[in-house]
Amino acid sequence: MDERLLPRGLSRAPFGRFLLWLVPWAALLGVGLYAAYLCLALGLNQTNMDNRFAFGLWIYLDLTVIALGAGAFFTGFLLYVMKKRELAAVINSAVVIGFICYSGAVAILAIDVGQPLRAWFTFWHPNVHSMLTEVTFCLTCYLTVLAIEYLPLVLRNRQLKKRPSMLVFEFELHKVMAVFALVGTFLSFFHQGSLGGLYGVLQGRPFAYRVSLAAWPSTFFLFILSAAAVGPSFVLATTWIVSRVSGRVLVKPSVFDLLARVSGSLLLVYVLAKSVDTLVWINHTSFRLGVHPASFYAFAPFGTWALFAEIVLLGLVPALLLVSARTRRDPRLLVPAAFLACAGVAMNRFVMTVQTLALPTLAFDPFLSYTPSWQEVASFLAVVAYGVILYSLSFRYLNLFPQERELAAPKEA
Amino acid sequence: MFPWSPEFAWDAYHVAFFGALYSVLATVAGTLAVAAWRARRDAREGQTAAIAWHGDFAEMPRSARHCRHQLTGEAPDRTCGNGFDCRHCAEHPRLEALRRKDEPAEPAERFGFSLPQDRLYHRGHTWVRPEADGTLSVGLDDLARRLVGTPERVELPAAGERLQVNGPAARLTTRGHEVRVLSPVEGIVVEASGEGPAFTLRVDPGGTPDLRHLLSGAEVRAWALRELERLQGALGSSALGAALADGGELVADVGEALPGDRYDALLGEMLLEP
Repeated sequence: MDERLLPRGLSRAPFGRFLLWLVPWAALLGVGLYAAYLCLALGLNQTNMDNRFAFGLWIYLDLTVIALGAGAFFTGFLLYVMKKRELAAVINSAVVIGFICYSGAVAILAIDVGQPLRAWFTFWHPNVHSMLTEVTFCLTCYLTVLAIEYLPLVLRNRQLKKRPSMLVFEFELHKVMAVFALVGTFLSFFHQGSLGGLYGVLQGRPFAYRVSLAAWPSTFFLFILSAAAVGPSFVLATTWIVSRVSGRVLVKPSVFDLLARVSGSLLLVYVLAKSVDTLVWINHTSFRLGVHPASFYAFAPFGTWALFAEIVLLGLVPALLLVSARTRRDPRLLVPAAFLACAGVAMNRFVMTVQTLALPTLAFDPFLSYTPSWQEVASFLAVVAYGVILYSLSFRYLNLFPQERELAAPKEA
Repeated sequence: MFPWSPEFAWDAYHVAFFGALYSVLATVAGTLAVAAWRARRDAREGQTAAIAWHGDFAEMPRSARHCRHQLTGEAPDRTCGNGFDCRHCAEHPRLEALRRKDEPAEPAERFGFSLPQDRLYHRGHTWVRPEADGTLSVGLDDLARRLVGTPERVELPAAGERLQVNGPAARLTTRGHEVRVLSPVEGIVVEASGEGPAFTLRVDPGGTPDLRHLLSGAEVRAWALRELERLQGALGSSALGAALADGGELVADVGEALPGDRYDALLGEMLLEP
């Protein structure tokens, strides 16, 4: 039925089966859109956040998907700037994933902040002293850049490329992609950093506050480093998932090897930097703020296990697995290592968002607990559903993995 | 005063923020504008066909991009990076000098299809025959004709249209699948004749044509063998029943023998339109 739109020579599921695959995701998207409507129409009383617990599930997951979406900028940086040509095999997929992550994050922010029609106020009346203004600016610009990077993929669709104007525009756009990759790298570096920085400057939250390096707190640099480290792991993990779901070989093992090597090396540097930062915070910063560091871990469920899990289990362990050539040769170890690395960044963002807000800051403060409302959960699941639908459509109708055709071709004698 | 900011003040924060914002916006918009301007220029200068082929060639699997000198043994591991246009290949003259010229040109009938020796062949399965009046005749080779069978629709260029090497020379619709045929030469179409896939275009090259990129003589046999291997590889072992490797011959209508879902891929694979 839709054969004319499918990339030639790539085998795809029958149209009916594809529609069946989309149905549950579309239903989830529908429920989420209704929840988002409730939040926008009736206000944030639809959520379980309050003035004390102002950052909940949405911000936590936003930070996580933005960190994971860093795979787009970092893969582009490695390919176009560092000339790692092998990564051309995954750049299209990385761009789609980046676009999904960032557009999803912006959509959730629009619900969280509210009044989306007044979003332009942030540029009209910018609070130039706020890290959040920097985040808003970078997110908006980077989403625009990602949309531009997505465009050539769409224009290479089998039917669209028959239109001469689309064809030549796609060709010329592709030639200047390095500029967009560089702009994307600049923007992504800054907003990952600013997202980390906005926790690091919270003097009233000793659990999150960090000493400054130059103009920024250490969390500014740690967020950049952690996002750059897990981005390639996320690209690896998603490629593996798509390969399993579709039943097709999409990239050569050498591509996985390179992604894992880059991710593992950066993750090792990150774990080292994070360990030094934690030691400085435990032995210096928290005492300076008048808080014994042990008190941060006195409240269940956030014991010291959380610190161990974040730095060792989901940081050092995957880093060592990913840098080991033996592990990289074995998919049974390589893929779990990539997933662990992604879980590590999710854990870090959880700690920085939820644990920071849950811990009491004054002697008479209680330990806060928070459970997201169904509206919060549903609207975020809608973003997941949107991502799956958009990625599925892209995988079906666009050539996301240039090596797929090569790998499906008969082997030479 | 910066535009769109009523609260702008000349302090470090405002200058840094707005400076960065407008620099990024100007870079993005400027780069987009450059791409759009270049695209317009390409279209005006008639580069569309070359760009289309550039994209198609880049998407083709490595197994479809053998250098012609790999086929004849001068460069065993070489893959073409010039879109099968040897006229612009720096290595072609050196490799051509290495090629044995004393090999007899064998007729390709023995492979089950006809590749007459009186013409030159393009990798996209078209042939070229220089005529006495200085024009060039262009047609679809026998293997391609067996692939496309009896097309429902054949779109040929009208007399007076300009063809470019590796640009579209014809567009066929067969069994509901559309495929374009690459032009092996450049020049002005003088006449289009013939029925269905047996069409012939007469092309005026406007002088002495440069046909170095076309296959001729003994290398046609090597290429035909490789194409049969590619065809068999794309078909799998059983689709055609007995085939060359089994001592058989190519059937007259390959499309007839194939399931529809594989036929489209095969057309693209053999006629170089991924």
